[in-house]
Amino acid sequence: MASAQLIKRQPAPTREFTGTITERMPVMGDAWLVTFTAPKELCAAARAGNFVNVLPHDHDVFDPPLRRPFSVYSVDVDAGLMTLLVRPYGRGSGWIVERQVGSEINVLGLLGNAFELEPKSTHALMVAGGVGAAPLLMLAREAVARGVSVTYLMGAHTTEALLEASELPDEVEYVVATEDGSAGYKGFVTDLVPNYLTWADQVFTCGPTPMFYSLRQVVLANRIGTKPPVQMSVERTMACGVGACLGCMVETRRGMKPSCVDGPVFHMEMIRW
Amino acid sequence: MVTETTTWKADLTVDLAPNNPRELVLRNPVIPASGCFGYGQEYAGIIDVQALGAFCSKGITPEPRQGNPMPRITESPGGMLNAIGLQNPGIDGFIRKYPPVWESWDVPAIVNISAETVEDFAMMARKLDDVPGVAALEVNISCPNIHAGGFCFGWDAGMSAEVTRAVREATTLPIIVKLSPGAIDIPEIAMAVEEAGADAISLINTLVGMAIDTRTRRPKLANTTGGLSGPAVKPVALRMVYQAAQAVRIPIVGLGGITTLSDALEFFMAGASAIQIGTAVFSSPTVLTRLIDELGRWLDAQGVASLGEIVGTANPRFRGHESTPATASGME
Repeated sequence: MASAQLIKRQPAPTREFTGTITERMPVMGDAWLVTFTAPKELCAAARAGNFVNVLPHDHDVFDPPLRRPFSVYSVDVDAGLMTLLVRPYGRGSGWIVERQVGSEINVLGLLGNAFELEPKSTHALMVAGGVGAAPLLMLAREAVARGVSVTYLMGAHTTEALLEASELPDEVEYVVATEDGSAGYKGFVTDLVPNYLTWADQVFTCGPTPMFYSLRQVVLANRIGTKPPVQMSVERTMACGVGACLGCMVETRRGMKPSCVDGPVFHMEMIRW
Repeated sequence: MVTETTTWKADLTVDLAPNNPRELVLRNPVIPASGCFGYGQEYAGIIDVQALGAFCSKGITPEPRQGNPMPRITESPGGMLNAIGLQNPGIDGFIRKYPPVWESWDVPAIVNISAETVEDFAMMARKLDDVPGVAALEVNISCPNIHAGGFCFGWDAGMSAEVTRAVREATTLPIIVKLSPGAIDIPEIAMAVEEAGADAISLINTLVGMAIDTRTRRPKLANTTGGLSGPAVKPVALRMVYQAAQAVRIPIVGLGGITTLSDALEFFMAGASAIQIGTAVFSSPTVLTRLIDELGRWLDAQGVASLGEIVGTANPRFRGHESTPATASGME
């Protein structure tokens, strides 16, 4: 059974490169879309779920020392541009969103595996929380391009924090939930999931860890047997990004695995809860 | 990847085991530190691993280890704390998996070994003695000795010497003993392991620290304590290298927060013949090849023909020159 395996990393190149920021745009309340120049071979190889590690300091100041991981939000292969969705949680991400257009940004990528959309899947459900919207947006675009029907569920505290519907392809059914009820369903996005479990061939999710726990509960309580299977893109504090330090581990049924090379995408069944 | 033609003239080569027939000659003094470079393969597609002086493997133990629970790492000002817990496949799994890959690489691979008994250290050294692809051992004595109530080998000169002697008797491979900054008297430990047969010493390992999440009121690391590394520890490491260089004649490998050329030069001038780069590799893997290049160019610009000429220059009681007259004569 596929869901009893780790998801293999596709053969994508990894480079440490310096890009120039070409655009920064405020989105989803307090987050930013940061676009920078990137090698075309990396843009072309990027798949939904892949991430990059961004250096959060200037060359002559080594603090904070560790790179920050961000899933790829979108790429423009022809122009050689990559876009990340960055929410300033702390010093590192705060530094990154303060970089102005024209300044340089040091990036290590591509890193990690990607979501696997099965060839026979025709209906894909995506469940996004917060900046977890990024890899799922890319996946939604890939899925629509393959003729797959996509329903994209997004949850946030309030309207402003939601992904703009215009970012998604027109073919996508976009359903939102807000905790304050200012848009769509009032409550958690995971409350909406049972309605789609017979419709979907696969479920893909990315968001905060508490959302994963409640999504798992909802899926286990409502699906029939093991279908649809769920793939989750997890987030861990990370140092190297290439499987060297073993700091970003996920406890799986095959032992402790680094989320940077054996993830960030895992089959829900592979994770020990 | 093909190594570009060097753009400097200075001689960067260094022999870390001048008294050992199996020698450990490095084409340059830059070595990624144990735990920060995996088993080399992880970085093979990102930098030219064969341009390095050597590389150190992750710490290997007698049996496979799952490592510590998560979280294992947390950032701190100018550094990071880690409590990985020596996750590794164990000595037998390691020997099957990695040295066969390294055998075809033109760069010395140094295997870092950790154990909780003297006998286990010796057992691993014996198993590694004639494994093709293994160039040298780095002996991690910052481990608890289970026969001494968990007191670290590396905090006691007698226990440090005992481990070194046992490893020396078990293998003819070059041995680098990695000292713990938890030792009260670094020169005493350095002399003890030199006397016991170490070909070189490396220092420092991480400093034990911790961090607390004030929101959850719990330690940030599942292991409570972890090893502090990065620029924050550099002054401590430099001081210990300086002290050790006044105590022993064998080559010294300096490490602890080295990030820039200036950091590297400080360690050489304190008395280190080679350096290891740890946390900085996480920030920037290309720092390794960049430092080699910057060092070569700096020596050229200073009119210095070989790296050895600057080693110990800031240390009036540096002892290394006593045993390397060729280098010393170049100085005077």
